[in-house]
Amino acid sequence: MIITKKHIPRRTILRGIGVSLALPLLDSMVPAFTALRTTAAATPIRRFGAIYVGMGMNMNIWAQPNIEKGLDLNPILYPMKAFKDRLLVLSGLDSNEASGIDGGQHPRMQTSWLTGARAKRTEGTDIRAGTSLDQIVARKFENETQLASLELAIESTDLLGTCSLGYSCAYNNTISWRTPTTPLPMENNPKNVFERLFGSSDSTDPKVRLREIKTDHSVLDSVTEKIASFQRGLGSRDRTRVEEYVDAIRDVERRIQMAEEQVGRELPVVERPMGIPATYEEHVKLMFDLQMLAFQTDLTRVFGFLMGREASVRSYPEIGVPDSHHPLSHHQNNPEKLARQAKLNTFQMQQLAYFVEKLQATPDGDGSMLDHTMLLYGSGMSDSNLHLPKNLPTVLVSGKGFHIKGNRHVNCPAGTPMANLQMTMLEKLGLPVENFGDSNGNLNLLTGI
Amino acid sequence: MSKQLFVTILVGLGIAFSGTAYLNAAEEISPRTIIDEYCVRCHNNQLKTGNLVLEDIETEDMVKNAEVWEKIVKKLHTGAMPPMGVPRPDESTYKGFIEAIELNLDQGFAKNPNPGRTLIHRLNRVEYANVIRDLLDLSIDGTALLPADNQGYGFDNIADVLTVSPGLLERYLLAAKKISRLAVGDPTIRPEITTYNVPYLTLVQDDRISDDLPFGSRGGISVQHYFPVDGKYEINIRMQRHSLNIGNEIRGLDVVNKIDLRLDGERLKVFEFGGDREYDDDPYTEQEDIADHILNFEFQVKAGMHHVGVAFDRDMWYVEGVGMATLPPASDGYASGVKTEQNYGRINMGVDHIEVVGPFNGTAPQNSASRERIFICEPQNASEETPCAQKILSTLANRAYRRPVTETEIQALMSFYATGREDGDFNVGIRQGLVRLLMDPDFLFRIERDPTSIQPGQPYLISDLELASRLSFFLWSSIPDIQLLEIATQGKLQEPAIFENEVRRMLADKRSNALLNNFFGQWLLVRNMAAHRPDPLSFPEFDENLRQAFQRETELFLQSQLKEDRHVTEILNADYTFVNERLARHYGIPNIYGNHFRKVMLPNNQRAGLLGQGSVLAVTSYADRTSVVLRGKWVMENLLGVPPPPPPADVPPLENVEVKGSLRQRMEMHRKNPVCAACHSQLDPMGFAFENFDGIGKWREIDGGTAVDASGALLDGSTFTNPATFREALVHKSDAFMGSLTEKLLTYALGRGVEYYDMPAVRQIIRDTQSAGNQWSALILNIVKSMPFQMRRVES
Repeated sequence: MIITKKHIPRRTILRGIGVSLALPLLDSMVPAFTALRTTAAATPIRRFGAIYVGMGMNMNIWAQPNIEKGLDLNPILYPMKAFKDRLLVLSGLDSNEASGIDGGQHPRMQTSWLTGARAKRTEGTDIRAGTSLDQIVARKFENETQLASLELAIESTDLLGTCSLGYSCAYNNTISWRTPTTPLPMENNPKNVFERLFGSSDSTDPKVRLREIKTDHSVLDSVTEKIASFQRGLGSRDRTRVEEYVDAIRDVERRIQMAEEQVGRELPVVERPMGIPATYEEHVKLMFDLQMLAFQTDLTRVFGFLMGREASVRSYPEIGVPDSHHPLSHHQNNPEKLARQAKLNTFQMQQLAYFVEKLQATPDGDGSMLDHTMLLYGSGMSDSNLHLPKNLPTVLVSGKGFHIKGNRHVNCPAGTPMANLQMTMLEKLGLPVENFGDSNGNLNLLTGI
Repeated sequence: MSKQLFVTILVGLGIAFSGTAYLNAAEEISPRTIIDEYCVRCHNNQLKTGNLVLEDIETEDMVKNAEVWEKIVKKLHTGAMPPMGVPRPDESTYKGFIEAIELNLDQGFAKNPNPGRTLIHRLNRVEYANVIRDLLDLSIDGTALLPADNQGYGFDNIADVLTVSPGLLERYLLAAKKISRLAVGDPTIRPEITTYNVPYLTLVQDDRISDDLPFGSRGGISVQHYFPVDGKYEINIRMQRHSLNIGNEIRGLDVVNKIDLRLDGERLKVFEFGGDREYDDDPYTEQEDIADHILNFEFQVKAGMHHVGVAFDRDMWYVEGVGMATLPPASDGYASGVKTEQNYGRINMGVDHIEVVGPFNGTAPQNSASRERIFICEPQNASEETPCAQKILSTLANRAYRRPVTETEIQALMSFYATGREDGDFNVGIRQGLVRLLMDPDFLFRIERDPTSIQPGQPYLISDLELASRLSFFLWSSIPDIQLLEIATQGKLQEPAIFENEVRRMLADKRSNALLNNFFGQWLLVRNMAAHRPDPLSFPEFDENLRQAFQRETELFLQSQLKEDRHVTEILNADYTFVNERLARHYGIPNIYGNHFRKVMLPNNQRAGLLGQGSVLAVTSYADRTSVVLRGKWVMENLLGVPPPPPPADVPPLENVEVKGSLRQRMEMHRKNPVCAACHSQLDPMGFAFENFDGIGKWREIDGGTAVDASGALLDGSTFTNPATFREALVHKSDAFMGSLTEKLLTYALGRGVEYYDMPAVRQIIRDTQSAGNQWSALILNIVKSMPFQMRRVES
């Protein structure tokens, strides 16, 4: 994690508080934690991240011919040039579960992108979609890490009036679904992400941390004990909520137990961010820095990142896009609006490149962190003027360890469900499943390479 | 409870069906005849217009299709059906028809009343912070401690969507530990930096910005900060730079500034800063990047909440003749966030942020407000410790769990006290007990339990203690206070006189201000103002001062409506508002000086009520322009209670014609497309009523080179020509508004969606409120007296 004035603004860094905080960690100097530790399992560590950008792309630029022999990078993709070998661009993938004529395309597209499931139309009761890809992976990897996954976002998730008619805001606020009925809140404050990773105390002294951990443990034990005699007079749906609470406690307990075991581990000393940086770019980069740190310390191997949500009205004057993203995306094929949309698409792609570059620069085991990481990047919408959930702009970044040949544009047969890609990704992650969402088969273009 | 007794209670509560409130005309109208004559021409088996078939619908016992009928009634209240151009019955038949349906439904429901059922209710983060304030006399920033909550039905206190995740649970655990330390005062607490930011470059610091700062000052920042223990703290003041991206130079450094730092109004220090530069166009030196690093001040302070104020001395003589004293804030304030090169002009020095750092050498606080609340006894020797701890923790738990605490529960807390006492001292023991208490499910959730004696599917009156919590979370977004809890514990809360007395007392209490931000803020979407970002190029005069003024105006306006107990429709057309100098300038109201907000009569009929307030007008606009669609939708959804039909899935692209002119002309072009017209013919006309207000609520007569035409029509075809006649038309059709308001308020009060089976209760509330004079207190009283608020149904 490079902490320099350039990447993390002054005001976000905890400084000079009269206690000794060591120098910032320089990622080029410190290899990933996992490389230092002897793993119990001999299998290489795998990591996964899903990054969502809302409201499609400029499809005039994005759509390109099928060039099997090498990837012709369109201008939006150009920032990823250095990682061409690890890049797969897919076209022809549809999100069938986002289709429909009752409005609410935005929530349905954002929801189905990572779940392959249809967002149930409701404003309150019974929100329902499907377990998302990141969470399926998280369930498999969680036993080895303190945190099953991180859920990150850029925009605050407490806005009103941006939710589509008839659809709960829950669908607009996340891409991660722990279960079909439990959307996971996504955190947009870097300070809170840091605390989630390293707890409330600034101290890295194992003794202090251990005392803290033991208190946490006994509090949760005591609460669990009370819950046992708690169900009197509750209806079945009330009990579901209580079970959710108990599940959450178990999850946290498991983490605490692991932290207890791993308390002797040397943690890199990192300064805690103070809050949300002023610009989009600084904010996204800081979130990626934190995610990098979580990978390096092996606190988690999975993340979902809502880099831009559906129906967002954020504007980007700093890159010459002063329009609200949502009205801009209804571009009516106006060339100026299309140009600004492409500008934004490219800007967001640059942020992805920043993260991939970090992954590549970080040694991990016998290679780099990138070798053991798979990233899915894209939108649940293609042409934003038509609100089309077809031919979704999709990028797969996969490390060498997954044996997926990069530098390719894969043109899937029209109508191929997006979920087929996800099912294939699960297989490549070593977690084969029978089906995922509305999948109807593997994406055989990925297999066998 | 026997059925007989149940009915008796219903009558006692005044929530039984009463038919006398209806006009007799309703009895003479035959719904069947009217439906056949006016509705079936579209809603028949062949056409199925709007997916509604009324050809064979049962009209005798309407409750069998209550869900459909309730939708019909709602639509009829807005006058939207039959659509314009199709014959409709005369006014009195129309009204009678509505009443006949309502009468039939109410009679049907009365045979089998259903008060609905709210799930286990997790505290949302607003409530959590309020509860901590009321329980521990400690003010915390909920947004820093807890993640945002999901919303349902437009509110963030809806039980169904207040889920629990491991991430949330971890935050609760972190919050419990932090809060306990702050409240008890932990001398070993590590120094921390709290940063208070001034919105970057967009808050113009040329005027006095807060009533809490000294007269004759300008700019700066005014905050309430909680100092966790007695000890030394440091305040660091940092200045704004010229640009986020280009340089790091402090701006306005060529002029001497006096910076005044105060604690609770007492001057701590005056810094003299700047004035070293000789010429404006000197190249900046590196020193000018870091010159403000000396603006630090260390001081001793006692634990508790203190006011920290930083401001500049408004001493402008020095710059006279040197250059422009200030940039004209009305034209350059907000845009300067985008372009602020150093030679852009003379810009006053401004505070970027302050940091409160500490504590250093902290000692246990003796008498902070929190400690006085918590430590109701102080052990004089070892043997007094355990009984005192027991007294402290059980008193806290009584309020935190909002009911008498059980022996087992006290024991659980005491075991944490014991561990803490062993590790440290009495304080540490109490702290650990408090951590456990703040993680208890009876604290984090509001739980209503069905009595075992009631059969599945049957309604019952909730207990006094449950009712007390419903009241306090509705009116205060917090726990009951000691008086309310005592009355409920004694079982007296359901005595009508006592109940009404308590409700009125709670409304008069300042905690009822929670309704402003939580209910009104979400209902009217004005809470979004905090995050709304107008495009600086389209609206260069927008700045943070104006944002804050918008928020303050609406808050003060609604507060005055509530406190003065006005007629509820007055929020639509009140002839007064609250402004300070900045806002008055924006609204074109002359002779208002200074930052202080004051009540003013509006000078003309351009603006009145909420519909003329900047907050409403801005949040219903896009970043760079107005939106008749968003504004029309806002009226339909929030004021009339009839959300517009959803947009179709595959909207065809507009013909690539060049569209010029006013927004109205462009929208009319848009509506020539029949696919668009189907919906926008309803939405847009009401949106046009606001076209005299631009995207940040400034009055305008010209848009896109054309005179603004703010005429349009309501759903029933009644027309208006400008904002004033639009407001009149809305108030005239206040039935739909009353219905919408009542439903929204009931949704918020119950923390669940209002369903079709709640509609008889909604109508009862409206009738009773009307006969009491339609004031806010009457509406709120009738909500809390209503069946869904007082009762619950056992799950079937």
